[in-house]
Amino acid sequence: MTTPNPAGWEALAAEPMDDQDEATMKLLAALYEQIDPVPADLVERLQFAITLDALNAELAQLQQLDALASSGARGVDADEAKTLTFTSESLTTMVTVTAAGPDRVRIDGWCAPVGGVTVELRQVNASVEVQADEDGRFVFDDVSHGLTRFVVRSAKPSSRPPVITPAVEI
Amino acid sequence: MINAEAEPATLAGRAGDAFSQFRQGQPDAMADLVAMLTPILWHTVRAQRLDATTTEDVLQTTWLSLVKGADKIADPRSVLQWLIVTARREAWRVSRGQSRQTPQELIADDVVSSEESPEALVLRSDTERVLWNHISKLPDRCRELLRVIAFSDRPDYAELAQSLGMPVGSIGPTRGRCLAKLRSSLTTDARWEPR
Repeated sequence: MTTPNPAGWEALAAEPMDDQDEATMKLLAALYEQIDPVPADLVERLQFAITLDALNAELAQLQQLDALASSGARGVDADEAKTLTFTSESLTTMVTVTAAGPDRVRIDGWCAPVGGVTVELRQVNASVEVQADEDGRFVFDDVSHGLTRFVVRSAKPSSRPPVITPAVEI
Repeated sequence: MINAEAEPATLAGRAGDAFSQFRQGQPDAMADLVAMLTPILWHTVRAQRLDATTTEDVLQTTWLSLVKGADKIADPRSVLQWLIVTARREAWRVSRGQSRQTPQELIADDVVSSEESPEALVLRSDTERVLWNHISKLPDRCRELLRVIAFSDRPDYAELAQSLGMPVGSIGPTRGRCLAKLRSSLTTDARWEPR
């Protein structure tokens, strides 16, 4: 069929692999990496999927993404604010991201219905948790840029599963 | 072995170490394992001709099975084999539920000359295009075998071939049929310049 010399490959098959074979295999991996690359954030999504939270969490969806020029009084340095709204069956969470110094951002958030929730901000190498106040407001005042998700948990044990947002770039 | 403490030389060895650490109570080791093995598992499932979205579902199911059943794996060093077997089985189960392969995938692999196929266009070098041409002519089982084990290291080949349902001796330490066929085919091609 595609093998012009069957006796040739049968003899080759019994020989030990050599460096040329190894080079061919390396080239083959490089070839498949180009033809069918692993999606860029697949590893992150899989890593998240196997965390304990994800096993029984309620997943929120990103509703809107608005980039607004701030009307703040800082003139030319006016920060750009970004507001994100996540919704799920039991909870709506809104966060506004503003610049807070070089490479840092501040996040002001609010979630409803209110009533004793903690909010965890989770990045690849970091996790911070804050308590929302009685109106459902919460603040992370010094956050680095990067892929970020929020995990909202009820303070009352076993009242409802945690809510997890998709990862967003902030 | 000059230094038994050194990091294992092969993908299967490194995976086994990370999995042992996870079982000893280091949850971060599982994230390392996912990062380490996603390429080889991606190609294991994609070689079954599943689309990207379905492949991601299969991989997620595979990893969840590992986390939930971590205690059932007798030898941590076999974790890579276990994952490959599980991913292939899950891919097979899912693809039975899908009525047919998509037309694009059939065209890419079987109808259009491989040198004119869209895949070949993304390749950077002539050497890669020649290799793609020859790998495309191999039987499906050989192509799957070589595609998957190319993402591991040479000492792993024999065990991984078994995980892929290939007989002992299909590759490593000897070439075995698939690599021998590829090599034989390449050596008849004047454009092939082995490095």
